[in-house]
Amino acid sequence: MTMTDEALMQAVQRGDLAKLGALFDRHHLAVFDFLARMTGSRAVAEDLVQDVFERILKYRATWRGDAPFPAWLFRIARNARADHYRRREFTATYTDAMDGEDPAPGPEDRLESENEAARLQRALLRLREDKRELIVLARYREMKYEAIAELLGVDVATIKVRVHRALKELRDIFLTLESRPTCAVKTSLSSSRTI
Amino acid sequence: MRCEDVSLKLSDYLAGRADTAERAAIEKHLEGCPACLSETEGLASLWRSLGEIPAPAPDSQGMRARIDAAIEHERFASNRTSAPAQRRFLANHPLVAACAATLVLAVGVVLGRATERAPAATPEVAALHQELRDLKQMVTLSLMQQQSASERLRGVSFSNQVDGSGDEILAALLDTLKHDTNVNVRLASVDALKRFAERDVVRRAAVDALDTQRSPLVQMALIDFVVETQDRGAVGALRRLSESAANETVRTRAAWGIEHLGVES
Repeated sequence: MTMTDEALMQAVQRGDLAKLGALFDRHHLAVFDFLARMTGSRAVAEDLVQDVFERILKYRATWRGDAPFPAWLFRIARNARADHYRRREFTATYTDAMDGEDPAPGPEDRLESENEAARLQRALLRLREDKRELIVLARYREMKYEAIAELLGVDVATIKVRVHRALKELRDIFLTLESRPTCAVKTSLSSSRTI
Repeated sequence: MRCEDVSLKLSDYLAGRADTAERAAIEKHLEGCPACLSETEGLASLWRSLGEIPAPAPDSQGMRARIDAAIEHERFASNRTSAPAQRRFLANHPLVAACAATLVLAVGVVLGRATERAPAATPEVAALHQELRDLKQMVTLSLMQQQSASERLRGVSFSNQVDGSGDEILAALLDTLKHDTNVNVRLASVDALKRFAERDVVRRAAVDALDTQRSPLVQMALIDFVVETQDRGAVGALRRLSESAANETVRTRAAWGIEHLGVES
């Protein structure tokens, strides 16, 4: 029988560290996707995924098992990303450039072709971080608003309003990047109702 | 339903999470409200377009290999910390560990001065020295397990002040060279390992590291290390570096190393 995430984590806590590999296999793509969309850099996201799972190892004793494992995992992922940017501010001169460690989101990791998806990606990266996070969680992680509310520590109604506002702001940024005179986001009502 | 209600429900509507009654109410409102209709159309299209941004693909295999290495590292570190509860405590309390390091240094200086004029040390003084050595070792090892790279760096530097052969310190330094994620800490471990350079295990680890380390700075330090210790067993690894290292300075330095070990490159 397949072990639940929580059972695997309890095994890790008891010292069966190899079980972390199974948790990694199950969740690393979701964590990577979240971090890659938040940072705009595949390389940074891969480093942060490593950091997240190392933190799980290091702080395994603090896992209490009273919340679903993915909620704990995403809390750690958010902290890892925040710490990464904090470290970058303070340790820019400490970084070994020769090693290529700690790369800034680079053009090689972005979609370069000037198609609509690429422009929208750029718009997303220009959106303020807290708003980008809401969209990434709601749209790409398909997280329920209740789960996002719990993760961010605010009530559900506030999350819904904030997602709406973040989308409007994203649309405005997207439109400023739009080179063509016609707006790509104008479509027919019938298509919008098929969501 | 009013325009404000649509705003509140729109995120559910876009995500397809509005129930049938809510959807019907929203759509009924949109039929009679051009402003909300336009807003909803735009955001719905944006929501769909967001789904068209391709998902980036990670190097899952490489990441899994690094996690496996981290698990091994943690297993090793756990074994090292399983005996002394004091070290576990210090590992979890970096500030206390830092204070302890300073205190141990201060006590060492005072004790050294107090006993240097007493060549015939009493058993009590000898015991005190031993306790100080143990304490230094414990603080060093706990610093080397901190999450902060700068604390680990302090631990590696502090290891030079631990007297004696210090097998545990040696094992920790070798582990740091092999597994530490921070290049500056790995670099410091190469320096710290120099005082153990006569040990076969250290020479072997340095040669292995020449093949596995990818940081040019660490590679350069290792080349200097094997030249300083005149380790002719490193020639093969140096040759590989001189031919295929990604960095040109490293390739040149490796060729220089081969020459200095008395071998034609």
